[in-house]
Amino acid sequence: MKRKLALLAAAAVTAATLAGCGSSSATGETASNSDTAAETATTQSAESSEGSSGSASLTMAWWGNQTRNERTQKIIDLYTEQNPGVAIDGQFSEFNDYWNKLATAAAGHSMPDIVQMDYKYLNQYVSNGLLVDLKPYIEDGTIDTSDANQDVLNSGMVDDGLYALCNGINAPALLYNKTLLDENGITVKDNMTMDEFIQVSKEIYEKTGYKTNLCYNQNEQWLEYFLRADDIVLYEDGKLGGDSADPYVDFFKLYEDGIADGWVIDPSVFAERSIGSVEQDPLVYGSSPETMSWCAFAYSNQLTATVAAAPEGTEIGITTWPSADPVKSDYLKPSQFFAISSDSKNPEEAAKILNFITNSVDCNNILLGERGIPLSSKVADAIAPNLDADTQRVITFVNEVVSPNSSQVNPPSTNGASEVNDLINKLQEQVCYGQMTAEDAGKQLFEQGNQIMASNAG
Amino acid sequence: MKKLINREDTAGYIFTLPFTLGFLFFMVVPMGISLYYSFCNYDILSAPTFVGLANYKQMLTDGTFWQTVKVTFFFAFVSVPLKLVFALIVAMLLLKNSKVSGIYRAVYYLPSIIGGSVAVAILWKRMFAMDGVLNKILQAVGINCTISWLGDTKTAIWILILLAVWQFGSSMLIFLSSLKQIPTSLYEAAMVDGATGPERFFKITLPLLTPTIFFNLVMQMINGFLAFTQCYIITQGKPMNSTLLYTVYMYQQSFEFYHTGYGAALAWVMLLLIGLFTLLLFATKRFWVYEGDQ
Repeated sequence: MKRKLALLAAAAVTAATLAGCGSSSATGETASNSDTAAETATTQSAESSEGSSGSASLTMAWWGNQTRNERTQKIIDLYTEQNPGVAIDGQFSEFNDYWNKLATAAAGHSMPDIVQMDYKYLNQYVSNGLLVDLKPYIEDGTIDTSDANQDVLNSGMVDDGLYALCNGINAPALLYNKTLLDENGITVKDNMTMDEFIQVSKEIYEKTGYKTNLCYNQNEQWLEYFLRADDIVLYEDGKLGGDSADPYVDFFKLYEDGIADGWVIDPSVFAERSIGSVEQDPLVYGSSPETMSWCAFAYSNQLTATVAAAPEGTEIGITTWPSADPVKSDYLKPSQFFAISSDSKNPEEAAKILNFITNSVDCNNILLGERGIPLSSKVADAIAPNLDADTQRVITFVNEVVSPNSSQVNPPSTNGASEVNDLINKLQEQVCYGQMTAEDAGKQLFEQGNQIMASNAG
Repeated sequence: MKKLINREDTAGYIFTLPFTLGFLFFMVVPMGISLYYSFCNYDILSAPTFVGLANYKQMLTDGTFWQTVKVTFFFAFVSVPLKLVFALIVAMLLLKNSKVSGIYRAVYYLPSIIGGSVAVAILWKRMFAMDGVLNKILQAVGINCTISWLGDTKTAIWILILLAVWQFGSSMLIFLSSLKQIPTSLYEAAMVDGATGPERFFKITLPLLTPTIFFNLVMQMINGFLAFTQCYIITQGKPMNSTLLYTVYMYQQSFEFYHTGYGAALAWVMLLLIGLFTLLLFATKRFWVYEGDQ
């Protein structure tokens, strides 16, 4: 009798634990054995109830800053309010974490339904069949693109499919502390050359002690921009652009000289920060001029967030990145896209949400062009009066400063680019810490970078 | 069937079933998959392709790999002995029974519970920042210190070691319980013979503690090799990979560069290294660990 009792107890405990683990077959009977099981069962039924009553539950993921997170959450709330029965779970991360998470989710076939996509990752995700072709949804009218700028729309094309919907137009932008410059009677002009930029940086350092963050450890676009002045494309297929290491040596030379002369910010400052976070950028964050920078190499759509992150009373200016040849270097690019993952169980609903983001004026009155100038010209016109002064400045900057003085954007980077990018960052770090000469860094980059590109080409 | 149900051990097996299943599905199966990936070229997004030993060969020429091995060994070999010495000293101090010693034991154990957490790592990062608490205190007492503790290649690793040493609590508790088991008659006899304090410590306490020291050493070494959170949150291996612990490099390769096959191979080499090292410790056991009169 005793033994049977023990056996019964064991069976009950096991069943309860297993049910608690979330086995999908958890029935009402076992669920009542433990609270956890009951909880699991409810969440599961909530997730799987889509379709039965026209309700759906989706996830949407993006990277961004505080401003973007708040606004995107608001449009999610608006959409779920207008479409009862639809539940959207918004997930946001910093740029780097976002791609780690997304790749892991892709491997587990559990990607969010709607994902924010970047120009440089688009090829990789499409070629692995992870994104849904949006063309059928455009053809059946679920997504209306009649008001979209066709050139920008086509930037989401890979081969014959349209896999991503651009949600904003963007350009590289040098954001700077205008208050500081005004106080010291220093002015910067648009389309600065590299020499002019260095001159200004030195002057600012001498007058105020503020240093320059020369796009430290975010080299992917900066080196690309730098090389474009010499008609070199950084990432070609299976190799780095250029015939010799010379342009790369010149690039590192900027840092070697800047550190020696004192106007380039000390690399140790970045040991404590998340590089790429607008809120922790030395432009807006730091305790003394020595740890701060008068400018930040950013993108035009980061102005709003930077203004929000800047200390009160600090005015932020916007101009172009410096280059030996600004017209050759500068470009317009799709800031980012929204795409539907092939793991989505509800692509129709996801397509409706994309349509909402693209065409709803109400929605864009909340977003207010934070990701860049809206794809639909109708929407762009409709929200124009509601834009704050900063976003108006961004539009003026993109339309009047960059647009007439720029060239075609580089093709999306090829395989191996992320690894080379890491190599550039490491070499730059060593140059800034004085552990390596610019000469050696440039040569190593050209040699090892080419090896990496070649081994990834196959 | 009835026979099976009535067997003495059936209930036992059923009781262990939750663990067994969990162990199978969350440990054994993933380990098998990881072993397979370690022989593959796998970038998470596309299907793995078999490449044989290529990943393992790549380690031999990977400078960063050797750098992380160096950093990890330094981290483990410095932090673990320091931690054990510290744990032993505190355990000795807390040995005296008084009304408050229970509270003290709990208080000193606390860092071990919270020390591995992300929140403490962030706190640590802020404390040693250029404008952090440490520099502020130094400035307050007149030392004008503007060192970036985390930005300097010489100091950064020590900040991580300090955090590891601070988590001495679990070793301390184990020391404490074995200290209590040393018979007082031994000390009394030594005192009658005129042994001084240090003599009593080195001739009685320490030899009798060697089994505990051995246990703590093995456990903490393994923990030391596997340290991840502190490095990942506080330094990310910066500056110049001077704090890049092995596990963080493994993570970077797997999930940042998408060289998941290489990452898996790194994991298996780590397993071998730890296994080898533990074996080595066991081999030295008979030279210094007191196992009672045999």
